[in-house]
Amino acid sequence: MIERDDGIPIITLASVTKRYPHDIVALDDITLSLEKGEFCFLTGPSGSGKSTLLKLLYFAEQPTSGDIFIEGINIKTIKEAHKPIFRRKIGVVFQDFKLLQDRNVFDNVALALEVVGFSHDQIAYRVNKVLESLGLGGKGRRFPQELSGGEQQRVAIARAIVNRPPIILADEPTGNLDSVRTMEVLDIMDELNARGTTILFATHDERLFEGTRRRVVRLRDGRMEVGY
Amino acid sequence: MNLETLVRRALKDIRQHMAMYALTTMVVTLSILIFLFFSLIYVNLHHFASRFGTQLGVVVYLKEGINEELIPKIYNELLAINGVKNVVYISQEEAFKRLERYLGDEKMVLEGVDATFLPDSFEVKVEKALFQPERLRVIADKIKKIEGVDKVQYGREWVQRLEVFTGIARNVVVASGILLLFTAAFVVSITIRLNVYARQEELEILRLVGATNGFIEGPFLMEAMLQGLLGAGIAIVLLYASYLNVSSGLLMPGFIKGLKLVFLPWELVVLVVGLSMVLCLLGTHFSMRKFLRS
Ligand SMILES: Nc1ncnc2c1ncn2[C@@H]1O[C@H](COP(=O)(O)OP(=O)(O)OP(=O)(O)O)[C@@H](O)[C@H]1O
Ligand SMILES: [Mg+2]
Repeated sequence: MIERDDGIPIITLASVTKRYPHDIVALDDITLSLEKGEFCFLTGPSGSGKSTLLKLLYFAEQPTSGDIFIEGINIKTIKEAHKPIFRRKIGVVFQDFKLLQDRNVFDNVALALEVVGFSHDQIAYRVNKVLESLGLGGKGRRFPQELSGGEQQRVAIARAIVNRPPIILADEPTGNLDSVRTMEVLDIMDELNARGTTILFATHDERLFEGTRRRVVRLRDGRMEVGY
Repeated sequence: MNLETLVRRALKDIRQHMAMYALTTMVVTLSILIFLFFSLIYVNLHHFASRFGTQLGVVVYLKEGINEELIPKIYNELLAINGVKNVVYISQEEAFKRLERYLGDEKMVLEGVDATFLPDSFEVKVEKALFQPERLRVIADKIKKIEGVDKVQYGREWVQRLEVFTGIARNVVVASGILLLFTAAFVVSITIRLNVYARQEELEILRLVGATNGFIEGPFLMEAMLQGLLGAGIAIVLLYASYLNVSSGLLMPGFIKGLKLVFLPWELVVLVVGLSMVLCLLGTHFSMRKFLRS
């Protein structure tokens, strides 16, 4: 991936509002920019709109009003057929891992590359490498239910990063993990960030960003409390 | 995505959802089998009737003492009528000979009788008369208008009954065919939709990692096509087996001895297989489209 630093924010939300049916306002006039290579926490109480904001970014929902730019491109202008391809720029990690239970670890990670059309050999090479780097070497033939929560989350992270997306969105990825596993995940994210990946990390766990110098965006009832 | 990957993914999919796949395929097979069964009955009726219907035609009696020169002209006029397959001239002598043959041992009753008591006539064979009996009437009406023609005969009553019967038979086959087609399409698409719902999580994950609709749909469509092929194939094999069984075991009673059952024409077989594949494909495509629209 060629890194260009042209000063354009990698993610921009401009006056984004998201309303769900029955007049539920999940996001209310959010304006926010992330620079390339930023590591930003997104926090707020339950129901404040964190997941919704991420969903807008990975095309699972559409904003009711306002514009979203990714790498300077207004996602409204992306044709339906091109959205899946654009989505490959974004790796997503969830609290509940979302692994396929009937596929082993290797196949779960390989999925992200099959979709892109990599060859058999390339897939094997890349998947093994990423599993290795996340401490999952030798666990490729295991099935998700044969792994601990922390390991499962690392598999999910492996799947999210195996095709080297410039952006990682994490929605409460440590919600199901104990403090040791939580730190492992944070360390992985730190390392990815050190290599230039932009990370937006949603969590309601204040301890994760206590004392960091990283940026923290706080939501409450769909509004931004602190931003800059 | 290349074909090899597609086939591999489809086969893996089938293996993983074997029970569901077998069930859907069985539904396809049964629907098509019922349809084919009706068609087979119709085709055999058709065949049966055409064997006995070769006699079916129009007899044209010419006026007594007709000018010999007119006969070739009438012949040509008859041949020119739309739907006429062939025309045979029966002279008075020929008619007499036939009568003798028909009477067999009793032909002495004709002794001393002048051959000319029978009129000259034409036998007009009509194309596909058995299945479009109404044609006979139309053609007979046209023939009546030809100069030199005295009387036109065709089995009017029989033709009318036949008309009703073939009409009903055709309608039954066509209606049951359409009905079954809809049922099959409906059941198959419901089954497929259940299948899709059951795998919603998988599809969601595929979307998440950036799979295009084509990539997601590909194996499903492949499976559907195979399903259509298998379903129709099994139905045809089953039908053929029972056809062989019945036709070899069937001892025909005297008068229809030598009348063999026929199987469906290969064109229909190919058509049914093709249609089955297309149906399964469309069923799958439409039940997935709902899901794929993000
Ligand atoms: N699909 C939906 N349909 C209707 N309302 C929804 C939907 N998804 C979320 N909401 C509502 O939108 C608001 C924001 O939800 P969201 O999931 O974004 O919150 P959150 O900050 O992620 O909460 P949590 O910390 O519990 O995950 C809530 O009021 C929620 O009930
Ligand atoms: Mg949430």
